[in-house]
Amino acid sequence: MIIKILGNGCSKCKTLERRLLALRDKYSLPFELQKVTDLDEIVNYGVMMTPGLVLDGALKSVGTVPNDNQLLSWIKETSA
Amino acid sequence: MKEWVKFLILVAVFLLFYFAPAGGPGVVAALAAGLALLQEYARLHVLTCLVPAFFIAGSIAVYVRKDAVLKLLGPTAKKIIAYPVATISGGILAVCSCTILPLFTGIYKRGAGIGPAAAFLFTGPAINVTAILLTGSVLGWDFAVGRLVAAMVISIVAGLFLAFVFREHDRKNSNGDFVAGMSSDLPYSTTTIALFLLLQLGVLVVFGLAIEPGLKRALVALLIGAVLAIVLVKFQKEHTVEWIHETWDLTKKILPYLFVGVFVAGTIEVIIPQAFITRLVGENTLLSNAVASTFGAFMYFATLTEVPIIQKLMALGMGRGPALTLFLTGNALSLPSMIVLFKVMGKKQASAYILSIMVLSVFAGMIFGELL
Repeated sequence: MIIKILGNGCSKCKTLERRLLALRDKYSLPFELQKVTDLDEIVNYGVMMTPGLVLDGALKSVGTVPNDNQLLSWIKETSA
Repeated sequence: MKEWVKFLILVAVFLLFYFAPAGGPGVVAALAAGLALLQEYARLHVLTCLVPAFFIAGSIAVYVRKDAVLKLLGPTAKKIIAYPVATISGGILAVCSCTILPLFTGIYKRGAGIGPAAAFLFTGPAINVTAILLTGSVLGWDFAVGRLVAAMVISIVAGLFLAFVFREHDRKNSNGDFVAGMSSDLPYSTTTIALFLLLQLGVLVVFGLAIEPGLKRALVALLIGAVLAIVLVKFQKEHTVEWIHETWDLTKKILPYLFVGVFVAGTIEVIIPQAFITRLVGENTLLSNAVASTFGAFMYFATLTEVPIIQKLMALGMGRGPALTLFLTGNALSLPSMIVLFKVMGKKQASAYILSIMVLSVFAGMIFGELL
């Protein structure tokens, strides 16, 4: 699975990245994390409030850092 | 930053320290003035204005739903709605200047087009809560309101002008998703959130009132108590944590730069000769407003630092008109932001935007200087 974080370096983007990496370590989740910083590409997802979170091409959240349970359930859904 | 740039900066700082006339009367006076202004801000503005303002901005970031506002700036939005919404939405959407650019790019390339996007881009930094509240607290509310109204009027005029000049451009880009995936699942009523915001604003207002200290303390305590009651009774812990996080984040991002800016502003009162400022921007003429406009356009002011700088320039004799002009361009434009604009909008559009803002700000300053 590929998880993308859309964001041009805002602090919430970094928090989201940290959370995801921590979850990956804790539960040894098999995903690859990519960061999208190009504004045009971010806007192409229809995202204007960063961070945007994209799991295998599907946009999951915008403008917030979802909590760990929410992140885990999305990851499970997408990998199922 | 490239390594050689860092090296050059270090060398410059070293040379400055090496040759600075450390014991000279000018230097001592400048440092003392910087410190004095810092003390003024620390005593008068930090606790009573900035801290509540940061909390309010944090609440807006967490509790105010943005998807509804953004939808009004979409590709199908009517012009008559899109422009006013674009000018005021900066206050809700762009709590921090770092969030403006993605929003601007989105509105420009996917949404209502260049006019509303430009209007949003211009008012975004000027209309944010912390900036208005600090301006009012330091320079008076006529300035805060003048700044607000001028920014809104200019943004609409500039936006309409750009939309007219580049009407070809706007026809190309109205496909694709706009505002995807915004969650709107806050389980609180609008009334609760409005009350929550108003109570916090109340704290700030009461701090500013000239009433008996005992009464003031009681009122502030009452309002803070009410805010806390809402937090404890109504809000889920998760959102409260996010609120505190947002507030702290903003504080971290703004306050250190503001302190540096305040210190610098204090020193310029001693360093820059009064006659120089009076001659250059003392009168409310076309020329002095143009000087203020150009200076503001290129100079970079970190968020809120324009307030102490303009405060001190006015103490040196800068007229009210040029001061407002400097507020308008100083906030919205800077050399770094121009470079980004050229990249996002293209040369022609960016130059037209920058020039129209600079010219309109001159007129706004002149009118403000004449009337108030």
